[in-house]
Amino acid sequence: MSRTQKLAALAVALFAAVLLGIGAEALAQANPFGTGPAPARPPAPGGIAGFILAKQAEFYRALAGMIRAAKADGSASFALLGLSFAYGVFHAAGPGHGKAVISSYLVANEETWRRGLVLSFASALLQAFVAVAIVGVAAVLLGATAKMMGDTVRVIETASYALIMAVGARLLWVKGRAFLAALRHANVPAMVPAAAAAAPGYPGVIVHDHEHDHDHHHHHSHSQGGHEHGHDHAHDHAGHSHGPEPEELAGPGGWARGLSAIVAVGLRPCSGAILVLVFALAQGLFWIGVASTFVMGLGTAITVAAIASFAVGARSLAARFAKSREGAGGLFLRGLEVAAAALVLAFGALLLMGYMASERMFAV
Amino acid sequence: MIPYFRLAVAALACLLAMASAAFAHPHVWVTMKSELIYASDGSVTGVRHAWAFDEMFSTFATQGIESKQKGVFTRDELKPLAEVNVNSLKEYDYFTHAKANGKKTEFGDPVDYWLEFTDGVLILHFTLPLKSPVKAKALNLEIYDPTWFVDFAFADKDPVALVDAPVGCKLSVVNAADTAAATTKSQQLGESFFNSLGSGSNYGAQFANKVAVQCP
Repeated sequence: MSRTQKLAALAVALFAAVLLGIGAEALAQANPFGTGPAPARPPAPGGIAGFILAKQAEFYRALAGMIRAAKADGSASFALLGLSFAYGVFHAAGPGHGKAVISSYLVANEETWRRGLVLSFASALLQAFVAVAIVGVAAVLLGATAKMMGDTVRVIETASYALIMAVGARLLWVKGRAFLAALRHANVPAMVPAAAAAAPGYPGVIVHDHEHDHDHHHHHSHSQGGHEHGHDHAHDHAGHSHGPEPEELAGPGGWARGLSAIVAVGLRPCSGAILVLVFALAQGLFWIGVASTFVMGLGTAITVAAIASFAVGARSLAARFAKSREGAGGLFLRGLEVAAAALVLAFGALLLMGYMASERMFAV
Repeated sequence: MIPYFRLAVAALACLLAMASAAFAHPHVWVTMKSELIYASDGSVTGVRHAWAFDEMFSTFATQGIESKQKGVFTRDELKPLAEVNVNSLKEYDYFTHAKANGKKTEFGDPVDYWLEFTDGVLILHFTLPLKSPVKAKALNLEIYDPTWFVDFAFADKDPVALVDAPVGCKLSVVNAADTAAATTKSQQLGESFFNSLGSGSNYGAQFANKVAVQCP
């Protein structure tokens, strides 16, 4: 197995792992109380989770304490902002906050790293803004109860999930067609006898062939056939310089299209922000709460952006090995995009139907 | 190329860690005191809970509720909220799971429920009657939120009491945080960690607060 193949295989495995990771997170959010009796409890260790259990509680209590302290001493506001930022970074590792949706969207939509960052920040700040708007209008102006605020959030969250579905459906439509078009193209080189001639040197390819799709096999045969150098050529990884750079991959549509994703993800406010705002309001420090919420949003954005960057990075890594957009490599990329688009649609649908809880909104 | 991959693998490990961190996302902290209630014939009839919410949630929950005196709520003023609480909790089986002699035992609808507001903290009192009282040599109670939206912990002092229990019954209480600390010590990033990633939505259970009563 040449280095190029190893790298290609790793890129694919890595990419699958990213999607899997996102999927695992999504599943972890499912509500086990949907139907039936209490599920069997597998013995699960909790080292990291145990650590975070303690940390979350500490953060949270410190936040409450610091809001109270800010009432007596204005300078405590700065400490509060610092803590809010840290809480945002940390807290966003939990369910919700649109990490899974944004990551899948970025992969499906051939977005650049820079656009990924902007998307992450814009959606996180919109989340903060919506939290402020809800508490500002409902609690400050209307004197609404917690239940009314919870009901408002539920309406907004339904709209948000429907929008995520719409974004996913649109992507799936566009990418699905592109995939089918690429599929028709790819069938041509597959007929070339050179594919069979190249086979002897590729046991590794066949081994991991079933892990993704058959076209991967064609990809190797095709590109190797094109170079006619076999393994000798692998060391310079020519594909890197020839391969499409992320910038070139950014699809058409511009910012208007990104806006739909920002709104879909950013519409649903973070429960933590709402709690902080109401608590600050009760202390007569609503504006401190607003500042804290936005700083928290900034922290959230950093975590979301980090995960989104990873998704974009994994995708462009995969793209490096899919040297030819016209050949099977391109087909493979198109396939990934379709899978990611389907994932966005699935997230929206699962969230909407309540199989996947983004964050529970105060049932108690 | 190789360092690039090391980086990628490290990043992947981070991602997995984050996926597991997704397990921990509480927004509500509850400090519990519970009582196990026994009938005169020695059978367990139910559990009486007193759940104190954290300050921030207490403030949130009481937001917009009208009271005669600002910041002070009477039991009557909180009655509608108590109603909402108890009704919503049904969907989550009141986060309370009982086993008598190793067999799962069902609870009926709660009775005697009310909210109290003391020093900025909201306390929900309610009694969960067992559907059928049971004489149990071994009684096990677990309180936890599988989705970990609510973080339950027993009060430091007198977390659990037996009311009118037969003579010779022995009570033991394990706080979830202690379990967590113990597993943290023993845990390594091994196979079991990765298995646990796929073990579904029940991660909250590993931090169950456990009560065990052994009666002669």
